Amino acid sequence: MEVFIQIIASGLTLGAMYAVATVGLSLVYGSLNMLNMAHGAILTLGGYLSYVAIQHLGLNPVLALVLAAAVCAGVGLLIYLGAALPLLRAEGFETNIFIATIGIGAILENLMLKGFGPYPIPQPLAIAGHVIIGNVHVPLQNLFILAVAVVLMVAVAFVLERTRIGRAIRATSMNREAAQLMGVRVGRVYAQVLAVSGALAAVSGIMISSIATLSPVMGGDPMLKAFIICVVAGLGNVYGAVLAAVVLGLLEASTQYILGVRWSFATLLLLVILVLIWRPYGLFGRTLVVRL
Amino acid sequence: MDKPVLNISGLAAGYDERRVLTGVDLSIPQGQLTAIIGPNGHGKSTLLKTISGLLRPSAGTITFQNRRIDGLRPDQIVERGVIHVPQGDMLFPAMTVLDNLLMGAYRGGARTDLNARLHDVFALLPKLKERRRQIAGTLSGGERRMCGIGRGLMAGDGLLMLDEPSLGLAPIVIDQIYEIIFDLCSAGRTILLVEENAQRISERASSIHLLDNGRFVWSGLGTELMSRPEIVEAYLGA
Repeated sequence: MEVFIQIIASGLTLGAMYAVATVGLSLVYGSLNMLNMAHGAILTLGGYLSYVAIQHLGLNPVLALVLAAAVCAGVGLLIYLGAALPLLRAEGFETNIFIATIGIGAILENLMLKGFGPYPIPQPLAIAGHVIIGNVHVPLQNLFILAVAVVLMVAVAFVLERTRIGRAIRATSMNREAAQLMGVRVGRVYAQVLAVSGALAAVSGIMISSIATLSPVMGGDPMLKAFIICVVAGLGNVYGAVLAAVVLGLLEASTQYILGVRWSFATLLLLVILVLIWRPYGLFGRTLVVRL
Repeated sequence: MDKPVLNISGLAAGYDERRVLTGVDLSIPQGQLTAIIGPNGHGKSTLLKTISGLLRPSAGTITFQNRRIDGLRPDQIVERGVIHVPQGDMLFPAMTVLDNLLMGAYRGGARTDLNARLHDVFALLPKLKERRRQIAGTLSGGERRMCGIGRGLMAGDGLLMLDEPSLGLAPIVIDQIYEIIFDLCSAGRTILLVEENAQRISERASSIHLLDNGRFVWSGLGTELMSRPEIVEAYLGA
């Protein structure tokens, strides 16, 4: 029983962190067909910004979180203006932006390496203490991560489903030309989506570094997992991505306990292979069937 | 004759290297049904796409209510009141019918009186009211067409451009769709209609323009067209 609670607690925390990291990626892919390879670097930047804000500027943790999210939203916007916008005008956008964002990610990572050094630093934005659930000590930090993730996911879902902006984002991802004919300024939608994705990456970076540590290359692993989750869910499917993130988080936690940490990533990849054999468009992805 | 709302002169447009339209002139009077007919692949849809800004013209001018609209972005053109209901509906398939309709009212000017406009659209297309919670991708062909037209109507007043509203539908459904279009005409709506079957609109259209090989080769009244069997035969194979 205690093991079970332990696995659920850490699995949900992992899932929550992955979900926040994945949703941004999925939104961007859904609306622009763009795989943002700089996502991991933005996530790391968010972690470092929170560190700088708390440790060096002496800011309040909430303010630090908001600041990190805002700056990373700005980075997302810059990626739109500096890379996506010019590349959208030419042929082969999907390949070009893929390569361009790899470059942007490398630049960001190396700047952080230069600025903060290669050694891991603890993330100051963390809550001490724990609660006891059925003899298991669950760190408050885990619950806090879960709560923030739930709030963010609900907020994203609300915006997508109930607001004019969200409808425009969904419309653009379903049919760009039709959205334009409705009066949607798609360039603005792209900019908004990349900014939101940047802000979400920052939050997930802070979460992940608060459980592990801050280092310039920390973004690689969560980004890889976020891509895996996107593929499993069906690229661009935001809600599927959240569900897949939680399931994969739980799976990872159980594999780590049952088989050992070294098997967790292999299991994840095995699962992806199986899912893609079974459903090439992802679990929730679908080829659209149109009735005539 | 009323003053034209839309004026096109010397328009040329195409895709990349391929020119589709050359030297197209057209004026569309207020409150009437103007039809463009012609064989497939001769520029009818290209013309509508160029008017709505999805394609940039390489030459010529388009003015709507005396203001140039060529060179504007599609969203700016919709904002001015040029509404394009594209061929094949292009609905948002994973959205409900209601969300599709609300997307139709996305443009700034259409946001006021949203409920009144929704009411009007449901009155004209009662089927959509029944189906409003249904996912648009699961509608039948005729319902999808109605949803597309309803979505265009949600954008409010202005020029309504319909690209082959009969495409791919069963004859009985085509009749229903045209009944709706003629209702709109009787209500004084300005409509630019692209159609392949001239017969269907010859009696209602105030003017018909025959587009062949990227230019207008004949213009006149529908009844005139029907009295010229050689034109109908040569261009429309009917």
